[in-house]
Amino acid sequence: MLSEPSPILISSYNLRKYFPIRGGLFSTRIGDVRAVDGVTLEVRESETLGLVGESGCGKTTVGRLLLRLIEPTSGHTYYHPSPDILARLGSLYSTLKASTATDGDGGTPDAQAALKELDEIADQYSLYRLKHSKMKELRGKLQIVFQDPFSSLSPRMLVRDIIGEPLAIHHTGTRAQRYQRVAELVQEVGLNPEHLWRFPHEFSGGQRQRIGIARALALRPEFIVLDEPTSALDVSVQAQILNILKKLQVEQRLAYMFISHHLSVVRAMSHQVAVMYLGEIVERAATEDLFSRPLHPYTQALLSAIPVPDPTLKRERIVLKGDVPSPAAPPPGCRFHTRCPAVMPVCSHAEPPLIEVRKGHWVACHLYPPTADGPSSSPLSSPTLGAGAVDAGAPRAA
Amino acid sequence: MAAVSRPVQEVPLPPTELPLAPGVPDLTAQEPSIGATPPSPVVLDVRDLKTYFFTYDGVVKALDGVSFKVRRGETLGLVGETGCGKSVTAFSVTRLIPDPPGRIIAGKVLFRGIDLLWGLDAEARIKVDKKTGRAKVRRSFRRIKAGLERMSAVRGRGISMIFQEPTQAMNPVFSVSNQLSEALLLHHGTALVDDLLSAAPADPAVRPALEALVETARGGTSDAVRTSSRKVGEAVHVGSFGTQAFYLSRDSELSSEDLLRRLEKSLHRLHLNRLEKAYLRHRRKRMVVEDELHEVYLAEMREGRIDRRQRRNLRARRTRLKLGGFYYGIWGLRGRVQRPLRDESFWRSVQLLEEVSIANPVQVARGYPHELSGGMLQRVMITMALSVDPTILIADEPTTALDVTIQAQILELMRGLKTRIGTAILLITHDLAVIAEVADRVCVMYAGQIVETARARDLYQHPLHPYTQGLLASIPNLERPDKRLTSIPGSVPDLIHPPEGCRFHPRCPYAMPVCKEVRPPTTVEGSEHTVACHLFKGTVSVE
Repeated sequence: MLSEPSPILISSYNLRKYFPIRGGLFSTRIGDVRAVDGVTLEVRESETLGLVGESGCGKTTVGRLLLRLIEPTSGHTYYHPSPDILARLGSLYSTLKASTATDGDGGTPDAQAALKELDEIADQYSLYRLKHSKMKELRGKLQIVFQDPFSSLSPRMLVRDIIGEPLAIHHTGTRAQRYQRVAELVQEVGLNPEHLWRFPHEFSGGQRQRIGIARALALRPEFIVLDEPTSALDVSVQAQILNILKKLQVEQRLAYMFISHHLSVVRAMSHQVAVMYLGEIVERAATEDLFSRPLHPYTQALLSAIPVPDPTLKRERIVLKGDVPSPAAPPPGCRFHTRCPAVMPVCSHAEPPLIEVRKGHWVACHLYPPTADGPSSSPLSSPTLGAGAVDAGAPRAA
Repeated sequence: MAAVSRPVQEVPLPPTELPLAPGVPDLTAQEPSIGATPPSPVVLDVRDLKTYFFTYDGVVKALDGVSFKVRRGETLGLVGETGCGKSVTAFSVTRLIPDPPGRIIAGKVLFRGIDLLWGLDAEARIKVDKKTGRAKVRRSFRRIKAGLERMSAVRGRGISMIFQEPTQAMNPVFSVSNQLSEALLLHHGTALVDDLLSAAPADPAVRPALEALVETARGGTSDAVRTSSRKVGEAVHVGSFGTQAFYLSRDSELSSEDLLRRLEKSLHRLHLNRLEKAYLRHRRKRMVVEDELHEVYLAEMREGRIDRRQRRNLRARRTRLKLGGFYYGIWGLRGRVQRPLRDESFWRSVQLLEEVSIANPVQVARGYPHELSGGMLQRVMITMALSVDPTILIADEPTTALDVTIQAQILELMRGLKTRIGTAILLITHDLAVIAEVADRVCVMYAGQIVETARARDLYQHPLHPYTQGLLASIPNLERPDKRLTSIPGSVPDLIHPPEGCRFHPRCPYAMPVCKEVRPPTTVEGSEHTVACHLFKGTVSVE
C-alpha cells in the first residue's frame, strides 16, 4: 500500500444518467428517473474498484456508462488520461466548484472559461465524444461480465462461437488462430477444450459464468466491469469464480470494477470501495479503511446488516427503517436523510458535498463538516485531483 | 436421520409429546418456549422422505431419505446449494409437489402425530421400467381430491408457508387487505363473526370515549391518541374499531366537531340490521361446520382410517346450509349483507400490518401487490402466514430476493415474532450467514440427503462433514478478508444418475474406496450432532 499508486486507467467526472418517464396523452416526458446523479470516480491500473449499494441505486448504470454501453445525460469519462490532463481537469473542476459555491450557477467569467476549456478537453479525449470507429477499437479494451449467466449467452451458439465472437468482430488473426486462442481462453478459466462443442444450456451456472469471463478476456482487455458476477451462483461455486478472477487480475494486470450488493465479496475482491445510495456516491475509501472505520451512517448500517456466519457473534445492529426512496423523486438535501439514524435538521435541505475526511477517505455527510485548515473540501472529488493531486501527478509527468 | 435399514422403523414418540384427544386438535394452542425445559415436544417429524420427479430423461431422485425433526418454538435451518432439495422438502411436507411430474414415494411426515402422507399410496400406482428407467403412473383422481381436502385442514393453521418470491406469491388482482382477510376469515372466521355480533355501538360509554379521543387527538401525543382510541375500541367491544378510530383521528385535518361526526359515522358499520345479523349467523354456522369437518379430517389422518358416518353427516349439513342461504348470494343483496364482515376484516388486516411495523398500514392494506416494494410485500406475506397463528412456519428463502438492509429488517422481524408467538420455524436458505443469525439447529443438505445435523453453534465451530467444512470455508468472511477462499471443486451431481455410495465422494477431498460403494450411515457424534460420513464411527443413529 505504501508503494507508488498505479497510474489511473479510467477517470470520470460528474456522470449523470436520467431516464425519462413518459406518460400523459402524447407520451411526453413527465419526469426523470435519476439513476446516476453526479458520480465521480476513478479506476487504477490492475486494481479493483468495488461498487456497493442496494438494488436500484444505480450501480449497474454506472458500469454501463463507463463502457459507453449507454450515453450519459452529462459528464465525461477519460480512458488512459495523461497526468497533465488529469491535473488540468482537477484544477478546472475545482474552479467550477468554487464559483458555484459562491454565486449560484457558474456565472462568473472564471467559471465560464473553465467550462469552455473542459468542453475542449472533452471534445478531444472524452469517451463519449469518440467517433464510432475509434470507439470500436477501444471496445476490445473495455469489457463486461454480466450478472445472469443464463441470459447473457446466446442459446443458439456453440461455446466456441460465443467466446470467438469478439475475435471475429475485431478481425483478429485467421480463423484457425482465433480457434487456437479460444482453446487457450477456455483453459484459462478452468474449462476443458471438449466443452467448446457444446451449447450453453448444457452447463451449470458456474460454468456459464466461466464462459462469460472467457468471452470478456478474448480481446485482452485492460478493464472489465464485473456486474454482480456471482450473485446468481452458490457459495462454493462463487468461491471458484472469485479465485479465477483474482488469478487473472494478477496474471494479466486487469483493472476491475466489481459491482455487487454483497459486502463481504466486495471486501475480498477490491482495493478501493465506493458506496452508492440513490445515484450518488456517499463514501469512498481504500477497502481496509472503509471496512474498519466506516464513516457514513449508510455504510455503517450496510455493514451491520450483513449476516455473519458465526452464531456466537452477537453484534450491535443498526436496522434501517423503511425502503429506498424512488429515484424519480429523490428526497431534497441529503438523499439518505429519510432513513438516517443520525439525521439532523440541516440534512433535509442542504446536500452534503463529498469531502476528504482522512487521507484517501471521502464521505458525503453533514456529520463530517469540512474544516478550514483540514483536508480541502473540493472537487467533484477524487483523492488525486485535489490540491495534493497536482503534486502527485507532476513527478510522473516529468 | 436417514435410516440404516429400510423400511421405515417404528420409533416410539418421545414421551413429552402430548397425545391429543381425538376430534380436538387445538392447533392454535401456543406456549412460548423461552428457556423451556430442554426437549420441547416435536411438532414436525419427517422420516426417510423420498420425493422423485418422473421426467422424460429419467427419474430425478430429488429427495432420497430425508429425516429431521422440528420441536415446538425452535428454528430449524435447512441449508444447501441450488438443486439439493431444500425447497422440495418444504413442498413435500405441505404436499404441494406438482404431480405430475413429482411424487412422494416413501417416508412419513408426522405433524403432531398426524400422518400427512396417509392415503398417498392409494392415490397412484407407480411402475418403473427397470431397463429404461421410465415410470408409469396411474392416478385415482377421486382419492387425490379427497387427499387435497384433508390437507386443507392442516395448511394455514397447522403449517403455514412464506415463499421465496413475494411478488409472485401474491395475487395481482386483489388488494392486500382482500388477501389478508381471506386467510383471516378462513381460519379465524368464527371469532371474527362473534366479535361483530357482540358489538355494542350504542353503549352509553361510547359517546364519552369518542369525545375523549377527539380531545386527545387535538394536541395529544401519538401514544396518548393510541391509548384513547384503544379505549374507544373497548367501549364498543370491537378491538379493530380502535384501530379505525386511531387512523381516522390521525389522518384528518378536521375541526373537533367534524372529527367527532366522522367517528360517529364510522360507527355505522357496527350497527347491524336484521338482515346483516341473520347473514352473519348463517355464515357462522357454515364456518363451524367447516371447522368440524377439518377436525374429522385431522382425526382421520391421525388414526389412519376414514370416519365415513361423521364425514357424510357434516358434508350433508354443509350442503344444506349452502342451499338454505342461497338468497345471500343474489347480486345486490350479497354486497350489502357482507359489508360489516368486509369492513371488519379490513381493519383487522390493518391491525395485523401494524404489528409487522409497516408505517402506513391503511394505504398498504388498500394497495395492490404491484404497488409495494419487495421488502414490504415480504412483510405482508409474513403477516399472512402468521395471522393464523400456525404451529409451524415454513420460510422458503424468505430474504433471497431482498437487499441486505431489508433482509436485516425481515430477519429482525422474524426473530421478534418467534419469541412472541413461539411458532416453530423451518427456515430454508442457501445462505449460511442467515442461518447463523436465526436458527437454533441446522440441517445441511447435499444432493437430496441430509449430511449433517447439529446445533447452530456446534455446526459453525466444529463442522464434521467435509461438505459442511467446504461450504463454510468458501464464504468470504468480513472479519478475515485476506484469507484465500477455498472452493469445493466440481458441481452438484445430476440427480437422475447420482453417484453410488456417498453422493459427495466425487468432490470430497477425503474420499476413500468405501465411499464409492456404501452409502454412509448417519452416526451420532456428540449431543444432537449427527453426520452421514464414513470418516466418523459414532453410534449409528436409529432415526
